[in-house]
Amino acid sequence: MADPTTAVRAAGGPRTFAWNPALVIGLVMLGVIAIVAVAAPLAMGGQATGIGGTPNLGSTPEHPLGTDTLGRDMLARTLVATQSTVLMAAIATGLSAAAGIAFGVAVWLAPRRIREIGLRAIEFAVSYPTMLVAIIVAAILGQGVVQVVIAIAVANIAGFARLTANLAAKIASSEYVSTARLMGVPAHRIALRHVLPNMAEPTLILIAGAFSGALVEISGLSFIGLGAQTPAFDWGTLLNDGLSKIAVNPVVILGPAVALTFTSLAALLVGDGLAAAANPRSNTTRARLERIEGEPAVQDADAVLVADGITVRHGVTGRTLVDDVSFSIRRGEVLGIVGESGSGKSVTASVVGRLLGEGLSASARRLQLGGTDLLGRVPERTLAEKMAFVYQDPGTALNPALILGIQLSDVLRIRLRHSRRGAFGILLAGFRAVKLTDPEGRLRQYPHQLSGGMKQRAMIASAMSVKPELLIADEPTTALDVTVQREVLTLLKRLNEESGTAVLFISHDLGVVRALCDRVLVMKDGRIVERIDDVRSLSQETVTHPYTKQLLAATPVVSVPVAADQDEVTA
Amino acid sequence: MSTTSTETPSAPGPGAPLEPGAPRAASLAGAWRRFLLRRAGGLVVNLALLVLVTFLIVQLIPGDPATAIAGENATLAQVELVRTQLGLDQPVIVQLGQYLLGVVQGDFGDSFRYRVPSLDVVGAAVPYTMTITVVSVVLLLVIGIALGMAVGVATRGDRRRWLDLAFTGATGVISSVPTYVFATGLVVVFAVTLRILPPAYSPAYDFGTAAILPIAALTIGGACSVARIVRRETAVILEQDYMRTARGWRLPALSLYAKHMLPNLLTTALTLAGIILTALLGSALITEAVFAWPGLGGVIVQAIAIDKDYPVIRAAVFVIGLISLVITLVIDIVLGLLDPRTLGEQRG
Repeated sequence: MADPTTAVRAAGGPRTFAWNPALVIGLVMLGVIAIVAVAAPLAMGGQATGIGGTPNLGSTPEHPLGTDTLGRDMLARTLVATQSTVLMAAIATGLSAAAGIAFGVAVWLAPRRIREIGLRAIEFAVSYPTMLVAIIVAAILGQGVVQVVIAIAVANIAGFARLTANLAAKIASSEYVSTARLMGVPAHRIALRHVLPNMAEPTLILIAGAFSGALVEISGLSFIGLGAQTPAFDWGTLLNDGLSKIAVNPVVILGPAVALTFTSLAALLVGDGLAAAANPRSNTTRARLERIEGEPAVQDADAVLVADGITVRHGVTGRTLVDDVSFSIRRGEVLGIVGESGSGKSVTASVVGRLLGEGLSASARRLQLGGTDLLGRVPERTLAEKMAFVYQDPGTALNPALILGIQLSDVLRIRLRHSRRGAFGILLAGFRAVKLTDPEGRLRQYPHQLSGGMKQRAMIASAMSVKPELLIADEPTTALDVTVQREVLTLLKRLNEESGTAVLFISHDLGVVRALCDRVLVMKDGRIVERIDDVRSLSQETVTHPYTKQLLAATPVVSVPVAADQDEVTA
Repeated sequence: MSTTSTETPSAPGPGAPLEPGAPRAASLAGAWRRFLLRRAGGLVVNLALLVLVTFLIVQLIPGDPATAIAGENATLAQVELVRTQLGLDQPVIVQLGQYLLGVVQGDFGDSFRYRVPSLDVVGAAVPYTMTITVVSVVLLLVIGIALGMAVGVATRGDRRRWLDLAFTGATGVISSVPTYVFATGLVVVFAVTLRILPPAYSPAYDFGTAAILPIAALTIGGACSVARIVRRETAVILEQDYMRTARGWRLPALSLYAKHMLPNLLTTALTLAGIILTALLGSALITEAVFAWPGLGGVIVQAIAIDKDYPVIRAAVFVIGLISLVITLVIDIVLGLLDPRTLGEQRG
C-alpha cells in the first residue's frame, strides 16, 4: 500500500540540501575549535609553557583547571594544545582520505583481475583494528608527532578505499554511467564527471567520522606515550600527565578530557547532520480510524463485509485520498477494485483490513465484517481469524530471516491457539492444496530459497490456513510473470469456490479482474466511478464512465475456466 | 528452531509419499560447504599475510634496523648482538625462511628484555585483554540492541519526539567521549571520590572487582554507538513489507518485535559487532594504560616505547591480528546461522 507522500516527494524535482540543528551546532562548534586553535597559541603560548608558578594547584580563581607538576596553567595548556591536536588529526584525515579515495578509484578503474585483488587487499586491511595498524607503523617508525600522524593516516586509508570502491561499484552499475559508457565516454572522464561527484555526500560523512576517529586515536597514542614527546604536547599527553596526579589533583584531567569530547562531538554532529541533510525525514501522524454519522448508502442484509462511506485523508496535508467509498461483499463472492496507481484502491483495502499506513486518518459510517463492527474495539484474535491478506510482492512480504514453517505458523499458534504440531499440520495441508512440491521440506526453507510464484502460493496457503471470512488480495499477481500470474489466479478462484471465502481483489489490470471477479468497482482519484455488476457481459456498451471505457479498450480479454485445476487461463 | 540444517533434505512425511522425480526443497548444506571452504582459504591467505607483515616490521625500520633498535647510546658490540639476534646479518630471503620456520613452531625469538620466548610474554597477557574485551562486547551488544530497539519501536513514525531528542543527544555525547577519557573519569568518580572500586589492577584486589571499571569504560560508549545504529535500523525494518505481513497476522507485540524483527536486526548488529570488536580490541590496548591492566596493550607499548623489544612486538602484533581474524570468522559463522543469505556473499 503505497504511501502517496513518498511518491510525491520522490517526484518532486531535484534534491535540496536541508539544514538541520545537528549540522548547524556541529559546524559552530568546529568554528569555535578552529578559532581557539589559531588564537590560543598566540595569546596564551607563554602562559602554557612558562615554568615558575605554584605546582599541583587545584581549582583556583586564577587557575580554574589547576596547574601541572611544573606549575603551568592547565586551562592555557589545554587551549594551546588545540592547535597541535586538531592539526594532527586534520592532516592524518586528509592524507588517508586522499590516499584512500585515489586507491579506491584506481582499483575500480583497473582491469578486472587487478580490481579483484585490490578489493581483497582492502578487505584484508579493513579487518584489522585501526589501532593495531597504527601500532605496527609506530613500531617501524618510532615515537613522535610525525610518526603518529603517518601511523593514523595509514591505518585509516583502508576505510576510505573501501567506501570509495563500494560507492564506485554502486554508481558504476547505475543507469547514467552505463549510458555514458554506451556513448563511448572514456573511463577517466566517467570517474571525474559521474562517479566522484556522486560520492561527495557519503565521503563527507566518512571524513567527519574519520576526523573524530583520528583525533581520538592520535590522542590515545600520545596518551600511552607513543605520540607527542616532551616538550611537545597535545591533549593526549596532557591527559597522561594528569593521570599520574589523578589521586591528588583530579581537576587537571578536566581540560583535555572536555576538549577531546567537545571536538569529537562536533565531528559527530556534523557527520549526523550531513547524513540527515541528505536524507530528510518526513513528518507523519499516527494512523486513525473513526466513525462518522450519516445516512447509510449500503443496504445489504446477507453481506459478509459492509463498507459504508470510507474516507481517507493524509494526516499532515489533509489531502483526500479516498472519498466516500461504499461497497459490500457477499459470502463466496469475489469483488474486484480496479484503478490506476494512486486511485486509492490499496488505501481502501488497508482501511477494510485495519492496517492503515502511518500518517493517514480514515473514517467510515459503517465497517462491518460478519457481524463484527470493525470501527470499534475488536480483539486481535477476531481480526486474525476473520480476515487474511495476500500482498503484492511475495519477495518482500515474507520475512527473510525466518524459515517458512516458523513465520507462517505464528498466527495459527499464537492467535488461533493451535499446538505447534497442529499448526504445522494445517500449513502442510495448505501447502498441498496450493500444489507446492515437497511441502515438509518447504517448511524448513527460507523465503529466498523459493521462486516468486512458490512464495506467493505459500503466502496464499498461509492466508487460507485461518479459514478467514474475508481474503484481501492486494495486487497479488502484479509482481509475478505472466504464466505464474495465471496459476495464482486459477488457484485463488479454486480456493474461493471450495471454501466460500469472500475475496476483495485489488488490481490495476481490468483483464485480470474481469477473469476472476463477480463484481467490479472502478476507482479513479479516490472515488468509485463505475460499478460493474454483470462482469460476464462486460463490454464498451455496458459501461458508462469514459475512464472505464478507456480501461476496457486497453485490456485484452482474459478468462479463467473454473472446472478443474489443470485448466489453463487463456489470454 | 535450529537453522543449521546441514543434514540431507527432509525425509518425506508419512502421509505424503513423494513421487519420484518430483522437485525437492533444497537444503543449505551446499551453501555451508562452499562458505566454510572459502573462509578456510581466506584464513590461510590472511595468516600468510600476517606473518609477512610481522616479518617486515623490523625490515622496514628506516636506516639500519640494528642501530635503531639498539639505541643511540649502544656500543658497536651491542648493535652487532642485536643484528645477530634478529638474524639481520643474513640475506633477506634467508631471514624470511628462518622467521617462517620459527613462526610455524610458535617461536618468535626470545624477548630482549625478559630473556624468555616472546610468545610466552604475549601469551601471559592475552587472557587479561580477552576477558575485558569479550565481556564488554557481549554487554555492549545486549545493552545496545535492547536500548536501540526499544527506542526505535517507541519512536516509530515520529512518536514521542522528546524521547527521540533525548536519546539522540545523550547517546551522541556519551559515544563522543573517547574510551580512555571515559576510563579516567570513572577512576575519578568511583576510585578517587567514592572510593568503592580499585583505581587500577593489582594482585592485592580481587580480579573481578578490578575488572569492573575497565569493562564499564569499554562498554558504555560502545553500547551508545550500537544503540544509535540499531535504532536507525529498527526504523527501517519497521517499514518493511514483512513487518506489515506480521501485523496483518495480528501478532502480539512480543512476537512481532522479538521474533519477526530481531533476527533481521541481528544481521546488521552482528556485522557491526565484528567491526566493533576489532575496534574495541584497539581501544582496550589504550584503556589498559589507565588501569595499569596487565594485558596486551601494556606489553606492546612497553616493547615499542621503552625496550625496543622487537621479538615481543612481532609476537604481539601476530597474536592481536590472529584474534581479529578469528573474531571475524566466528561472527560470520554466527551470521550464517542466523541468516543464511549471508553465506553466498563474497567476503574475506
